[in-house]
Amino acid sequence: MMNFDVIPVEVVTREFVAVILAGFGNDLLPLTGDHGEEPCAKALLTISNKPMLDYPLSWVEQSGIKDVLLICPSSHRPAISHYIHSQSSSASFSSVHIDLQTFDESQELSAGTCSVLRHFANRIKGDFILLPCDFIPSPSLPLSKLLNKFRTDSMLDGPIVTTCWYEHKSDKQTTPDEWGSPAQPTPIVWDHLSGTLLYVDNPEEADKNNDELELRMTLLSRYPQAKLTSRLLDSHVYVCKRGVLDLLAQKTRFDSLREDFFPWLCKVQYQSTKQTKYATSVRIGIVIHRADEGFTVRVNNLPAYLEANRHVYETPQFVVDNSIGDFTRVEEKSMIKKSTIGKHCVIGKMVKIVGCVLLDHCVISDGAKLDGCILGNSTIVGSKAELIRCVTQAGYEVKENESLRNEKLDISDWAAQPEDSEGDMEGSTGEGESDESDESDD
Amino acid sequence: MSSSTGKEKLITDEEEVLQAVILADSFNKRFKPLTTHKPRCLLPICNAPLLDWTFESLALAGVQEIFVICRSHAELVKAAIKNSKWSKPGTGLKIVPIVTAKETFTPGDAMRDIYTHGIITSDFVLVTGDLVSNIRIGEVVRQHKERRKTDKDAMMTMVVKQSGVNHRTRSKGDSAVFVLDPETSQCLHYEAVTGYPPKKYARIPREILNEHPEVDIRNDLIDCSIDICSVEVPSLFQDNFDYGDIRRDFVHGVLTSDLLMKNIYCYIAKEGYAARVKDTRSFDSISKDILSRWTFPLVPDDNHPGGHSYEHLRGNKYIAKDNSVILSRTCKIGNNTLIGSKSQIADNAQVTASVLGQRCTVGAGSIVRNSYLFDGVVIGPNCVVEHSIIGSGVQIKERTRVERGCLIADGVVVGPHARLAPFSRLSKRRSDGDEDDEDEDDDQEQADEEDEEDEEDNESDDGDDEDEDEDEVDSELEEVEANQDAEALAKLGSDTNAIIWPPSTVNEDEEVDELEHPDNQRLMRIGDNASDLVLSDAGSVTSSESESESDSDSDGERFEGSNPSSSTTSLPLSTPSNLVAQADSAAISEFQQEVKQSLDRAFAEGHSVDNAAVELKTLRMASNVSLRLVRDAVIAGIVSRIKIMGDGAISQRKEIASMIARWGGLIDKIGGVDPVETVELLQEHCASSDRLPLFGQILAALYQDDIVDEDDIRAWHAKPESQGEGVKPTSLQENYKKCWVTGAHMIKQFDEQDSDEESEEESEADADDDDDGESGTGNPAVKPLEREHNSSKDASSSEEDSSEETSNEGDEYSTGEDGSEQDDLP
Repeated sequence: MMNFDVIPVEVVTREFVAVILAGFGNDLLPLTGDHGEEPCAKALLTISNKPMLDYPLSWVEQSGIKDVLLICPSSHRPAISHYIHSQSSSASFSSVHIDLQTFDESQELSAGTCSVLRHFANRIKGDFILLPCDFIPSPSLPLSKLLNKFRTDSMLDGPIVTTCWYEHKSDKQTTPDEWGSPAQPTPIVWDHLSGTLLYVDNPEEADKNNDELELRMTLLSRYPQAKLTSRLLDSHVYVCKRGVLDLLAQKTRFDSLREDFFPWLCKVQYQSTKQTKYATSVRIGIVIHRADEGFTVRVNNLPAYLEANRHVYETPQFVVDNSIGDFTRVEEKSMIKKSTIGKHCVIGKMVKIVGCVLLDHCVISDGAKLDGCILGNSTIVGSKAELIRCVTQAGYEVKENESLRNEKLDISDWAAQPEDSEGDMEGSTGEGESDESDESDD
Repeated sequence: MSSSTGKEKLITDEEEVLQAVILADSFNKRFKPLTTHKPRCLLPICNAPLLDWTFESLALAGVQEIFVICRSHAELVKAAIKNSKWSKPGTGLKIVPIVTAKETFTPGDAMRDIYTHGIITSDFVLVTGDLVSNIRIGEVVRQHKERRKTDKDAMMTMVVKQSGVNHRTRSKGDSAVFVLDPETSQCLHYEAVTGYPPKKYARIPREILNEHPEVDIRNDLIDCSIDICSVEVPSLFQDNFDYGDIRRDFVHGVLTSDLLMKNIYCYIAKEGYAARVKDTRSFDSISKDILSRWTFPLVPDDNHPGGHSYEHLRGNKYIAKDNSVILSRTCKIGNNTLIGSKSQIADNAQVTASVLGQRCTVGAGSIVRNSYLFDGVVIGPNCVVEHSIIGSGVQIKERTRVERGCLIADGVVVGPHARLAPFSRLSKRRSDGDEDDEDEDDDQEQADEEDEEDEEDNESDDGDDEDEDEDEVDSELEEVEANQDAEALAKLGSDTNAIIWPPSTVNEDEEVDELEHPDNQRLMRIGDNASDLVLSDAGSVTSSESESESDSDSDGERFEGSNPSSSTTSLPLSTPSNLVAQADSAAISEFQQEVKQSLDRAFAEGHSVDNAAVELKTLRMASNVSLRLVRDAVIAGIVSRIKIMGDGAISQRKEIASMIARWGGLIDKIGGVDPVETVELLQEHCASSDRLPLFGQILAALYQDDIVDEDDIRAWHAKPESQGEGVKPTSLQENYKKCWVTGAHMIKQFDEQDSDEESEEESEADADDDDDGESGTGNPAVKPLEREHNSSKDASSSEEDSSEETSNEGDEYSTGEDGSEQDDLP
């Protein structure tokens, strides 16, 4: 089965290069906060005990693509470099050549996707696929589906981009507001008959007219049966012609691909002045993945992260309740339900864990209760502590008998500490930090 | 058991009579002056009054009781209903005319009137008096009632018909964007679209996405103006006294209201036909639709609402069956033509794509094209009538030319030797007491006697009404009569009794409804292609330089949308110059280079046309350029390869003929056939190269090889850009003009040729003419367009190219005959 897919593609090797963007993951804070001196790369956060990066990489590999340009912040380079050269990953991605490049930026002031792409334009020689490191595609959505759409369209009238949008029905179980809201769908207009993306709403338009969507009549004349929906999310996977980079070079003001560049590009499709100006006929293809075709999500916020962990083991092949990593010890009389536990964790006696994600090296002391939590690397939970719907930064320590609810537990941020810590406020900030980082080394 | 209960149910169902309300008044004046003495719903379309078509449509839909709401000329409508075949016992239809108050200026007022009359007892069908439809409305009513059971707020179902954006019966001037729920067809938003000034944005409220996350935005629906309404609809009109138009006010108001909480649904008819005659353009297109049988079973040879019987001949020609039509042996009847009984077509007359009423006469050698002649029209010999509507009893005397878009009211006489400017509107002078019209006038006066207290300031009112009352008509006529231009009147011929209605203009102070604005009305006018209006939905790939400037300006702001003069408002510049500009871009010039090489190879190595075509197709696929560019390259290749023979016209003609015979076929094998574009491009290349003198001959050669035909040359000729309008260097413009005149000459010859199959001689003659011009001055022969208006005395003043005519008059006489031309040849 697989061979049938792969072999014909191999004939035309180097047709595409995959460009994977790995960012800081600011919406996943505190999980992506620094662990002591060490940064926690978003790309290496595990989802069902596999680094997030594994998912797009294997997706790319399955479609027969050989070249990957992986772009990450320079501070993440050692960790990611170590990972892709380590035994565990190189075995699975032997056929892919990964070119790891870095860009300099700080976590606070991250560069827009456009400028990153402009910067690396000279490394991209041909058509390329741009994808984020956090896209978890459903098995029913192979990358080759997008590539084939791109190929057929370019035979007909040469699109320069094929995009992929997915429908996401979030679970009934709600995450607390404190975690940040799940990704909001963007209203888009597309033509069903030709599979063309026509309009992407963007914040600027929304600011201009918050009550109404303004659609050009030229659009509606050209595509008289357009559909408008607010159910779809952008996968941020774009199959692009090389020409996109030239356009990007011309439009130096654009910062974000999703919010600036593509909404603009949609307009080029039906606005003739722009067509003459940029001397291209543009068509933006769209592939739509419905929720009932399989679970697909971009893990770029906490609710999605929790959900992704839950869903990956819910696939029909693995009807298991939990996923527990290697070398993890669970003591007696503990109960673990619907949870993902990382490697090298220690879980004491009488512990109750329901619907949680525990990353590697967590220590849960006796009698602790965890419900709907995400614990960063090496989090320590004191005995009989009770956490409900909390997220912790790597290395965080929850004290004994502490009871927390709906919190983002952040080491550096004192204000986010629960009421209990109010008394500690008198103590110097330096003290608290050093305490926690010391303990987390265990 | 079950059968008896079924029967009971049937009986209860039957008790509910399906009611329909016809708004017989049009509430606008688009047909003026045809409608000064007659309501629009009594104008004949395909020789039956519109109202009868509407009755027929409703009868087909199973309606049993019809209320006809009439306002102006109410007595005429009443009489028409009384005489209609539907009023006879046994038709199963009950038709009740209801005369509303004079203050009824809008459909909304009429609805309020319906409410006060209290005639509506159940769900009813609301239509206008100008409907032609074969849609099964019964099915829509059933769905509507079904829906009412689950959704108490479902108040109305609008019937819309799926079509293309540019369908001929879809009015450009007055259309709409519907936002629908894909599953239930609930209408969530209604956006009226006015054609000119072009609407730029459709504004869709974001809040509808809250409840309906996925919606369809449809811009391809024809609004049939058939609404299934619930009883509460008239009362809603009563409550909201500011609702005027049913669509723009009522539907829009209900959908945007937070208080009413009522729902409106659409029924998208996939089959069937429905359209309303809401302007002269749709009058034209619906007539054509009827003639080409889209309205089956409502067609002239079957179910004709007027009760006439016609014989259907090949090519959709309909001739009255009673053997009373007299067709001369040499007359020519084109396709899509209907000829009423007792009509006569004289020798060598041509009637194409037209409808002739009863007792019409077309004189010898006259041409009637795309026109609608009501009963009793008499057209003298050697006249031309194009794209016009001619009222009943009109006499057009010999050698008169009626240009496209004219509306001539009942009883007018024009000619002889008259020339009507395009879009003239004529009506009869009142003082003119023609015997035969006297009685009719009396009738109307009687009819309208009751309707006397109409305000004079009606004009400025929103509900301007073409079906006005006699005194107002009088006052308006008086005004029109007072402002007659003697010079223009003089052109109407010596026997005329007509007055000319001024073209509609906008008074600055006056507030005119956007929809009824003259510029927008042009989109609804018969015969007006409005090519000089800038329409956003032209979707052309053209744009002016100033706009690319504004584009770059707004680029500074990153969002073009913020700039009001952004792209959609492309000027109607002709394509060639812009294409050249476009071609400057690297990708396209590279493509052109490749095409040139490919053609070079093909010519040098003598490839077959098919092989060359395949190569071109692949090239086009690879670089993704428009078909026009390919055609452009091919024509450039052919034209540039035609050698200019120094040694005389005959060898030149041979060279052209052999070149076209060998390679002409390639033009149509590149993946699409567009002969009009071919002529345009040929013109462009000839005008910008030293092969300008060859234009006529090449065109003739293309014509002979069937690459372009007569209609295409006409179509090209009719385009304003063909005359060089908008061509940038003015020197080129001159050349364009020359080509255009050459084409004009060719068309003239087509006109002269009639039905005889002498195309060969003709194109030969054409070529000869060109030879003559070439050998003489180096210019193609420049000749006046029409012989008739040359001979007519008053042709000189208004015609734009009159200067050219006079300057070349000498030319014409020297090259008048084929024989003399032959003499000129070396």
